Amino acid sequence: MKLHRLFAVMRKESREIIRDRITLSTAFLFPVMMLFMFGYAISLEVEDVKLGVLDQDQTPSSAALVDAFAESRYFKLVRRYNSELEIRDSMEISEVKLALVIPPGFNALVGRDNLPEVQLLIDGTYSATALVALNYGMSIVSRFKDRDNKLIDIQTRIWYNPSLQSVIYVVSGLYAVIIAAFPPLLTTLAIVREKESGSIQQIYASPLTVPEFLLGKLIPYGFISSLQLASIVALGYYWFGVPFNGSLGYLAIAGLIYVFCNVGIGLLISTITDSQLLAVLLALVVTMMPSMLFSGFVFPIYAMAEPVQLYTHIFPARYFVDASRGIILKGAGLNEMLQPLGLLLGYTLVVFFSAVAIFKKKVA
Amino acid sequence: MNSSVDINPRASGTLSEDTRGVIVTKDLCRAYGDKVVLRNVNLSIRDSEIFGLLGPDGAGKTTLMQVMAAILDPTEGTCTVMNHDSVKDAYWINSHIGYMFQGFALYDKLSIEENMKFSADIRGLPKDLFESRQERLLKMAGLYKFLSRPAGNLSGGMRKKLSLCTNLIHEPRLLLLDELSLGVDPASRKELWDMLHESRDDGVTVVISTPYMDEAEHCDRLAFLHEGEVIAVDSPSNLHTRCAGHVYELSTDDRGAAHNALVAHKDALSIRHLAESVHFQLLTENFIAADLEAELKKNNGVIKAMEPSLDDAYTMLSGGEKSTAYAERPPKIHLPERLPEGGRILTEGLTIRFGDFVANDHVSLDIPPGEVFGFLGANGAGKTTFIRTLCGLQPITEGNAWIGGVSVRDEHRRLSDHIGYMSQRFSLYPDLTVAENLSFFGGIYGLSRSDRKKAIEWAVSVTDLGDVKDNLVADMSGALSQRLALACAIMHEPAVVFLDEPTSGVSPAARYKFWQLIQTLAEVGTTIFVTTHYMEEANYCHRLGMMHQGRLIGVGQADQLISDLPPEIEAETIEDMFLAYIKIEDARLEAEQAS
Repeated sequence: MKLHRLFAVMRKESREIIRDRITLSTAFLFPVMMLFMFGYAISLEVEDVKLGVLDQDQTPSSAALVDAFAESRYFKLVRRYNSELEIRDSMEISEVKLALVIPPGFNALVGRDNLPEVQLLIDGTYSATALVALNYGMSIVSRFKDRDNKLIDIQTRIWYNPSLQSVIYVVSGLYAVIIAAFPPLLTTLAIVREKESGSIQQIYASPLTVPEFLLGKLIPYGFISSLQLASIVALGYYWFGVPFNGSLGYLAIAGLIYVFCNVGIGLLISTITDSQLLAVLLALVVTMMPSMLFSGFVFPIYAMAEPVQLYTHIFPARYFVDASRGIILKGAGLNEMLQPLGLLLGYTLVVFFSAVAIFKKKVA
Repeated sequence: MNSSVDINPRASGTLSEDTRGVIVTKDLCRAYGDKVVLRNVNLSIRDSEIFGLLGPDGAGKTTLMQVMAAILDPTEGTCTVMNHDSVKDAYWINSHIGYMFQGFALYDKLSIEENMKFSADIRGLPKDLFESRQERLLKMAGLYKFLSRPAGNLSGGMRKKLSLCTNLIHEPRLLLLDELSLGVDPASRKELWDMLHESRDDGVTVVISTPYMDEAEHCDRLAFLHEGEVIAVDSPSNLHTRCAGHVYELSTDDRGAAHNALVAHKDALSIRHLAESVHFQLLTENFIAADLEAELKKNNGVIKAMEPSLDDAYTMLSGGEKSTAYAERPPKIHLPERLPEGGRILTEGLTIRFGDFVANDHVSLDIPPGEVFGFLGANGAGKTTFIRTLCGLQPITEGNAWIGGVSVRDEHRRLSDHIGYMSQRFSLYPDLTVAENLSFFGGIYGLSRSDRKKAIEWAVSVTDLGDVKDNLVADMSGALSQRLALACAIMHEPAVVFLDEPTSGVSPAARYKFWQLIQTLAEVGTTIFVTTHYMEEANYCHRLGMMHQGRLIGVGQADQLISDLPPEIEAETIEDMFLAYIKIEDARLEAEQAS
């Protein structure tokens, strides 16, 4: 490896990056757009679930229970029924998602040892929110056993994301997805573009060696991608209010490794494709899509089937989701981070050396 | 027609010579899967010579270049470059040669100087050496004043010159140039060749590939590449001599009859329909069979023996042209109307401005129906603007144009059915078959069902596409796509057909067939308007027009234009003539500015 040749490639790449509007917007504009779109679009919260009530008891106790539901921020009372028949029709047209049926004699049971019996009917079409809504409903009912019709106040304490806002959870995971989406794309295109224009043949027929050429691409694109990560982390902190409990230094180390890993994946893709179109498709299928599905950024990995859980290990995004959430939200230190970071580092090296091994200075 | 030739290249002894050349290939083969691109290539390229690889697109030129540059391994045989094996010592070869890819392999976002610097830096050239060499090279190329201009903003000719300079900065002993002149105008081509001669005189060995016969004439020695095989290696003049006595010129009142007589005769090798005459080759040397001679002399036929050209040599050595009967005339389909003046093209003071830039400056032309008119000019001379205007795609600033007597300015919509256009990058649909493409274009032109059938039948027969009707365009060779593009452009029997460099890169045989069909079309009154900067194509035109910086600087028959030049200027070829006219015009402009 001759440094002057490496520097020559780096210089050339940096100039091309700075002068190319498409590269610059892919590096800075699109990631920010994605952060905003996903940050606002993906909400895991269950609020204002439409509620219908059939109160067959018509006592102060039953009225208090209905009030307890209506006043909570999870439910919104939209309909009162007179008969059970009405409930079915109302649910079919999605007027309500949850129906509360209070049987006659509810008042008499309140305050006894056994729970008063009420019926909760839920529209289970979308199971995830249905379950959450049902749980909220049951917890309201279960707290409603005091003779004076007072709710028992259970003190809960939530760690790491105290306001339980899903936006914090989503945005802190998005960093991994965004870095898996754009840097590989940029890097892949940077090489495949040269293949398409034919300028790569001038590179082949020159004293440049494969590691010099690939490192010369990797370093500038790694640098610009690191700036990209920094910019979205800053936006997450200042705009979305993602708390920062950990060490900036650790995040920087983890981020650098992860960024270079993804740039390396871009290099690897470019060694096996000849057209920009194929390169873009491959980059999306290999990096962005799995990093959304299998990184645990919204879909928790522990809830996946065993084989799928194993499968998630081949995508570096999952390690960085763990690492970045660990550092940012939990303030994790080096010890906790050692495993995911070690794996990421190993991954990066394997990717780069594979690219060097596969890349040949031959047209076919 | 007979495909065996009595000239056996292997018997001439030129293929097996000394093995001490700068590049020596031995039984070199290269295949991609089942497709053999190079077959048993044995070449020995000598020190300090300009060696040309001549052949049409698809002959294997680029592949051979890549093997020599050690960026492609042969599947069989060996290639030795400066005593290094191209497989084992690929890195050494990569580091010691200059290799120029056929496209514009520069970095568009980088300036001229940055491109040069990159090329020098990856080769570890010291700074002081770089400065002096860069200055010398760029001055020679006329690029030194534009040092900081991005390569993306340069013209085709300037880009090629810069490409060449980036490959000369480390002063390699061997230069491999793949289609140096692709997309380069004649003036820049001449400058490129001056640079090559200078390098050669400094002791550099140059290997250059080209599909252009006129360019091949400048090489010291040539290899003819035909379908992956080397069919001859010799100096251009020897190649001419090898075909002497086989080539004739015929002027006749009925080229159709003469054509069919030649096709029917066993001695005929190839037929080439130029604007005013027919050239043909015979298997026999200095002898025309009596029966053939009698046939050809009908219709006031006059036969003259001719000096062979490289084109002739290539055609003969590659086994002649499997020619077919003279193209049938079009079936006369029912267009809604015929234009009052047929295919006449008339422009008066036609001027097109883009802001301050004058793309066409008072161009006045009158082309009668049935003429094959050649429009010559460098990139940016205003040829494309002119055609776009005639097609009604470009608003006219001043003056006017008429096609068949219909004003382009006022009624261009009426004209669209009467124009056929074949662009350089044949606009065909690669995922459709030949028949589907034709049917689609027939539909666009609004031909009725029965007319479309007739038109397609005729177009397929005259372009000889019957056998490949159901093939996908994507799988076809350049020559076949070119014929299909022509079929699509003429099937609706337009009054005017525009052709943009229609035959660059196709084999001589395919080119002859193409132009024969063009002559048929001209005979029935179709006006053929050809833009080209490929001088070979100018031979097929009745008259030529030359464009330079938006101005028409000369119109007339080629011989007339040559004899109109001042006596002190010598011009043998159309290229010389064109360059001379440009020089005169530039001098005139300079004088105008000075006063």
